[in-house]
Amino acid sequence: MHDRVERAFHTYRFPYGEVLPSLDELARYLHMEEDTEHPAYCYMKERLAGLTSSDLEAVGGYAIGTIEGLDLQGGTLTVEGTTFEVGAQVCGYLKEATEAALFLCTAGALFSDEAHALNAQGEFLEAYIIDAIGSLTVERAMDKIHKALEVEQAARGMKITNRYSPGYCNWPLKDQRPLFAFVGENPTGIALSESCLMHPIKSVSGVIGIGTTARRRAYGCVICQNKTCIYRRLVQKG
Amino acid sequence: MNEILEKLFTCIEFGKINTASPYPPQMRGQEGAMELTKQALDAGIAPSEIMDSALIPAMTRVGQKFTEGQVFVPQMLLSAKAMNAALTHIKPFFQSGEVQRKGTFIIGTVFGDLHDIGKNLVCMMVEGAGWEVVDLGVDASAEKFLAALEEHPGAHVGLSALLTTTMTNMKTIIDKVHETHPEVKFIVGGAPVSAEFAKEIGADGYAADPQDDIKILESFLNA
Repeated sequence: MHDRVERAFHTYRFPYGEVLPSLDELARYLHMEEDTEHPAYCYMKERLAGLTSSDLEAVGGYAIGTIEGLDLQGGTLTVEGTTFEVGAQVCGYLKEATEAALFLCTAGALFSDEAHALNAQGEFLEAYIIDAIGSLTVERAMDKIHKALEVEQAARGMKITNRYSPGYCNWPLKDQRPLFAFVGENPTGIALSESCLMHPIKSVSGVIGIGTTARRRAYGCVICQNKTCIYRRLVQKG
Repeated sequence: MNEILEKLFTCIEFGKINTASPYPPQMRGQEGAMELTKQALDAGIAPSEIMDSALIPAMTRVGQKFTEGQVFVPQMLLSAKAMNAALTHIKPFFQSGEVQRKGTFIIGTVFGDLHDIGKNLVCMMVEGAGWEVVDLGVDASAEKFLAALEEHPGAHVGLSALLTTTMTNMKTIIDKVHETHPEVKFIVGGAPVSAEFAKEIGADGYAADPQDDIKILESFLNA
């Protein structure tokens, strides 16, 4: 018999120093060799050092609910009265789950604000780098939350799935609304635009399945069906 | 090729912006794209020749290297910086009409989508190929494209999307624009987009990378 499911938002806060990518990781992501003279490499090093010493933090967490319905054919997931049109693909990945953790996480507005300002000044290279740092930071923060959830659930004898987000794997972006409604009060400060985009931009949202036989799968290109994607080609060449 | 133009080509290809730029190390202390463009103009080389013989072919070379996986985005952006430095001297000739652009390309990330890196790369490369680029930014509606087309008649349009759920908004924009401007040609691109999808939604071309955009735009010129 498992514990009663909690609906409270479990909050996690990470100082940037804990979730920023390392220089090596950022360089790999940008397909840069270590080149201490390349302006991109110099800027990466300088900006990471500046951000590491800042007192800003990434904030995120999740709210857990019992899965009441999973319609594989219709592509819907129902969690405690809220139905999400996640699509058949995500439904398939969640089929062993009995509970769902709906999550939010943000790295804050700094990255996109700075990238926007740099782009406006024609500093495209620097804008690209700061944008990449923001993307990796929010993913690293979410990786830590994902891991924390895994540990928490393991203590209950449960396992967890990968995370899946509206906007990907044919899960419509409009489901951000029920997702945010389900999560309810939370300290992330993420707001939704009319077209369901998150602000700050460097934010992620989605679902993680929980169940005794739930399992994590290989990520990225392995689960994506788009064979012509430029990123797939870059990864293969990288 | 003229020696100045040859050097200028190399500066753009390897991202040597000006004399003060320390990169690439083997060119340290040498003049960069900024100074060489000025020198070329002072030497009486026509701005159109500078564009056609050095700047455009150099950016084409960078685009090819990107397509072939020999360079990645940071290197391409450094070349774009050098190109921009050169263009500061050439832009007055665009305004005076002495150098003709090949045409106008209106581009934006479709409504519902905030991803702009791919689009920005396309902007830089297409501008470097001699086109005027009108960037509508991200989350761009059909109305925004229509307003831009009113301002730039005869322009071609580029649509970008990164999400499987927003790529469908491309069709909404194409249909709406074609209601009043059936002659407008569209190029679509972005991670989830494919040639089949482009065809299905009535786009005239699918660009897998910035170099494809340029090739398709050139094909529109020759059509």
